[in-house]
Amino acid sequence: MSYLPEQLYREWQFMLRQRYILVLLVCTFLISGFSVISGLNEVDQQLQTIDRLKLADNEDRSDAQAKYNDVGLLAYYSFHLTYSPPSDLAFAALGERDIYPWKHRIRMLALEGQIYESDAQNAELAQAGKIDFVFVLSALAPLLIILLFHDLYASERTSGRHDLLVTTARSSFALWGARVAVRFCSVLVCLMVPLYVSTWLSGTSGVSVLLTSLWCVVYLVFWTVLSVWWGKRASSAPRVASGLIGVWVLLTFVIPILGDLAINQTIHAPEGGEIVLTQREAVNDAWDLPKKTTMDAFIATHPKWKNHVEMQSMFEWKWYYAFQQVGDQTAASLSQEYQTAAKRKYELAGYVSFFSPPLLLQRHLTHIANTDAVAAFEYEQQIREFHKQLRLFYYPWLFTQPEIDKAGLAAMPSFDDVVQNWPEGQSASGAGSAPQIHSIAR
Amino acid sequence: MSIVNNSNPILKASSLCVDIKNNPILKSLSFSVNAGEIYALLGGNGAGKSTTLKTFLGFNSPSSGSAIVAGMDTTNEIDVIRGKTAYLPESATLYSHLTARENVQYFLSLAGIKKSENEIDQAFKKVALQESAWERQMQTYSKGMRQKTAIALALLRQAPVFLLDEPTSGLDPVAIDEFNQLVRELASTGATILMVTHDVYGACQVADRIGLLRNGELVGEFDAPENGRIDTDQVHAAFAQRELA
Repeated sequence: MSYLPEQLYREWQFMLRQRYILVLLVCTFLISGFSVISGLNEVDQQLQTIDRLKLADNEDRSDAQAKYNDVGLLAYYSFHLTYSPPSDLAFAALGERDIYPWKHRIRMLALEGQIYESDAQNAELAQAGKIDFVFVLSALAPLLIILLFHDLYASERTSGRHDLLVTTARSSFALWGARVAVRFCSVLVCLMVPLYVSTWLSGTSGVSVLLTSLWCVVYLVFWTVLSVWWGKRASSAPRVASGLIGVWVLLTFVIPILGDLAINQTIHAPEGGEIVLTQREAVNDAWDLPKKTTMDAFIATHPKWKNHVEMQSMFEWKWYYAFQQVGDQTAASLSQEYQTAAKRKYELAGYVSFFSPPLLLQRHLTHIANTDAVAAFEYEQQIREFHKQLRLFYYPWLFTQPEIDKAGLAAMPSFDDVVQNWPEGQSASGAGSAPQIHSIAR
Repeated sequence: MSIVNNSNPILKASSLCVDIKNNPILKSLSFSVNAGEIYALLGGNGAGKSTTLKTFLGFNSPSSGSAIVAGMDTTNEIDVIRGKTAYLPESATLYSHLTARENVQYFLSLAGIKKSENEIDQAFKKVALQESAWERQMQTYSKGMRQKTAIALALLRQAPVFLLDEPTSGLDPVAIDEFNQLVRELASTGATILMVTHDVYGACQVADRIGLLRNGELVGEFDAPENGRIDTDQVHAAFAQRELA
């Protein structure tokens, strides 16, 4: 056997005789396995929910279309399912999907209220977060690394073997290098095998798997180097362990939480509820305002219909939908402010992540898995685009021919078409949403 | 009492000074050990015995002077020196979860040395480690048994230089005699042996020469007469005087 395999084989055999290391590795494998199974279940539930809702959505809309001949009533009672399906890597990095909604049923009413009236199903669950692979990797794996490596040198020193080992080993690599390599590879395998099996089951793209693997290796190398370096300098294993755990707490919790606090102190943004309230007040007030006031505001942004705003009765659907549009226009500046602030918060959180490797890892992996705030914002923009197309579809009928031509309904826009035609990376420039700090600190 | 000069020593300390945390531990220490010679460095607690040994092993760097092993300076070629040196620590704590055989195999593999099962058996027999213990985990071993295992390991390394730190500490009288016999056999094959000890009687029983160390300085040397042993009383008197001085 050549030199390198010989050293690695010896240390592998040696490691297999150390029960506490084996227990640690088995725990690592089980935790990693649990996290990916939990992620797969969550993703499966989301997919099932989407399938169920799609079926119900189609039936509901077909029923509405069969029932109503009045275009205003049809628009009012027709709901449209929008959704952001989980990616093939979402099981590993659920990211913001437990905080931001990934499905909305939209109709022709004012949009802002519908967007910000979050349909997060279980706020308590979102608060606690889910144990996904990224959480295990970013927050728990460093602890396992610390446990595996903190006493690499100290245990030999305290037992009086250090000098004998050093003087016996033919090289430093034969001893420390091989030990570190074997332990590192073992913990890496225990963490990654459940992930790879799941990516195979989920049909995850090779590029995503490769990028994820690369980040995982780099991250684990960081903690291993830190643990080995610290352990080499100190003589007491408990002191090394407590120092490293202090660093872990600092990087994993303290910096993200302080960063979150600092960002929220620095960037002031309207609350989602404020946007909802503003839009609803504008809509409610419109009932009492002169119709001309509403129509003038509507025509200012939709001049195409300026010759069709005259009303023949006290209530007409075109007026009703015009003040829904005006409600959105009234809340537009707040909404824009919210989005800009969210974008800025996300950017600042990115700077904070340079001081917190766990946060940095989480940002990158959720980005690869398309479950980050950028993806949530992209979904929001797709909803806006779909709602815009829906309005453009209904307005000609509302303003010119209140009777429905049922054959024309086939041309109704669908959310799926919007997503299919969505240019890749469109949201990147306008990326904006709340920073991801909460999920690492949860 | 005489200072022996050797033209081609294997171990040589020349005006060796070692400071640890700014405290001078070795002060211009000079001595040498030839091939096939057993040299015992004798001294009380804190005299600098272990520091001398650790300097030859490269764990301490000389602040001035030099420590030479087989013509190589410990500051420059410590990896080569360690490859030629078998070190026996005072308290040989091997891995308690491994058997004696597994321990020996592990350390030999670390050193890049291949030995057959039979050769390992022979080494165990040579150090009088009872056969029933060979395949037992070392957590059940007495200190003497652990020491014997470590000695077996040192023998199996077949190094030309042996550095022994209080090697008979914890051994019973019979084991000490057996150990002394082993050391003399090793020396007869040409091995160079430097042992540090505070056991005057033990040193006189086995050493060809004894260096008396006090406060990091060599204050005297004793040679064994032709076909005889160093006079214990003489060394003891010198040791006691120096300690009292």
